[in-house]
Amino acid sequence: MIRLKNVSKIYPPNVAALQHVSLHIKPGEFVSIVGQSGTGKTTLAKLLFAEEHPSCGEVIIGGWDISKIKHSEVPLLRRQIGVVFQDFKLLPKKTVSENVAFALEVAGASVKRIREVVPQVLKIVNLHDCGDRYPRQLSGGEQQRVAIARALAHKPKIIVADEPTGNLDTINAHEIINLLKKINEFGTTVVLVTHNREVVNHLRRRVITLQDGNIISDEEEGRYRL
Amino acid sequence: MRLLLRIIKFAFQHFFRNFWLSLVTVSMLTLTFLTVDVLLGLNLATDAAINNVEKRVDVSVTFKIGTEEAEVKNAASYLRSLPEVEDVGFVTPDEALTDFKTKHANNPTVLASLDEVGGNPFGYELIVRARSADNYPMILEALDHPSFRDFIEAKDFTSHETVLASLSDVTVKARWFGFTLLAIFLAIAVLIVFNTVRVTIFVHREEISIMRLVGAAGWFIRAPYLVEAFIFSLTALIISGLVVVPAVLIFNPLFDAYFETSSQLQNFFIGQAFWVFGLEFVGAALVCMASTAFAMRRYLKV
Ligand SMILES: Nc1ncnc2c1ncn2[C@@H]1O[C@H](COP(=O)(O)OP(=O)(O)OP(=O)(O)O)[C@@H](O)[C@H]1O
Ligand SMILES: [Mg+2]
Repeated sequence: MIRLKNVSKIYPPNVAALQHVSLHIKPGEFVSIVGQSGTGKTTLAKLLFAEEHPSCGEVIIGGWDISKIKHSEVPLLRRQIGVVFQDFKLLPKKTVSENVAFALEVAGASVKRIREVVPQVLKIVNLHDCGDRYPRQLSGGEQQRVAIARALAHKPKIIVADEPTGNLDTINAHEIINLLKKINEFGTTVVLVTHNREVVNHLRRRVITLQDGNIISDEEEGRYRL
Repeated sequence: MRLLLRIIKFAFQHFFRNFWLSLVTVSMLTLTFLTVDVLLGLNLATDAAINNVEKRVDVSVTFKIGTEEAEVKNAASYLRSLPEVEDVGFVTPDEALTDFKTKHANNPTVLASLDEVGGNPFGYELIVRARSADNYPMILEALDHPSFRDFIEAKDFTSHETVLASLSDVTVKARWFGFTLLAIFLAIAVLIVFNTVRVTIFVHREEISIMRLVGAAGWFIRAPYLVEAFIFSLTALIISGLVVVPAVLIFNPLFDAYFETSSQLQNFFIGQAFWVFGLEFVGAALVCMASTAFAMRRYLKV
């Protein structure tokens, strides 16, 4: 599903964020990426949805080599990968439903499909009663669930979440992780970038540890060890 | 189709969310439109004025008494052969005398003095009318032709010449002033549109980044800004039209009375409204869109 071949990312002038990283993530996997600050986790995540391009090496998503993806093809990729961030990135002047609908709207989905999908995904994240509320009327955990609902709107095969629990307390963090687990059980591949020791240890799934832009360990059912 | 409607929806959202900015932009564009309209109106006025004077202008060439008719006819056909000459009128001494008598029929003193002179004091006369006022100097020069220079008693033109000269001088100056004003307004309008788009992009930067993340195509993100430029131009056009049309209706009778035209102002602005306003709109919309495209290239990285 996701394959990195000898990928390096050098930010100008010469910050080597990733160095010769190779990895393979199979469909339906739930992979955590951990590591200290500044070790290239976010950079790795950005490579997956073509927010950044590798300086060398290949990034292949579902058989599609996106290392030199054309600018005009990026939207196509983004409709197949859901992204979730630490800061939610919701539009404050739109309601929960409108925020989710927005993703479909700008990608050209029909009104019929929007009406169908929005309640569906809000139900998955257990917010089907909050459709008319504005983000500021929700807790952090709820806002993050809206963001996840939006990421699901295109029915993506992959979800990339960059520290989705970074702004949340333990209880809310657990809720979000459980939600991601549930989504993973439906068959979606999940790539989770995190700092949270408890989360990783609780998950008991594959853990990739980065240090200074290198993979220093890659374990099935790994633990947070730094 | 669906996407087009959404683009238009987003464009209107941008327009109304930055209402004050939109207001300034539209005002400036309206001002530019009004300047163009006033310039066009002035142009009509000076054209009508020049036309009026030109219609009245002719050169009357008086031949010396005793000049043979053949000589005069010769001169007339020569003048007719000139491309600058529209028409040459031929007045015989007898006609001139009759004319004079009818003109002064109730002025016995003048008639008495005519009798005193005895015989016909008038020579042949040619009334030369040029195609355009600019041609008169040429015609006067042509009349200096050696073959009939000596027969000519007088050429009467000078009074009109100064009127025409000063009129065309004023016209040229007015046009220069108008175009300078227009250029300044247009430049300001371009800058304001540029700034409005810049600010709109800034205000929507969050939305833009989210659009990109959820897979909106680049053109779909850009298009609303171009549509917004279109809305600016259209709104300004409508407002300027609401000012210009009543103004034309009010000034039309005055214009006709002054320049002896028949509804020229109205025929131009209302009869040809489609062309006048259409071209103004197309011009403004293109300029606004170019300015928008430039602002997007600079500030909207998608
Ligand atoms: N756009 C950029 N330009 C230049 N350098 C960058 C850029 N983005 C990241 N870097 C550098 O690349 C390195 C890796 O950054 P990255 O954001 O991937 O780290 P991270 O592992 O996500 O850190 P954190 O845990 O703090 O989020 C850092 O040294 C950072 O300073
Ligand atoms: Mg990071």
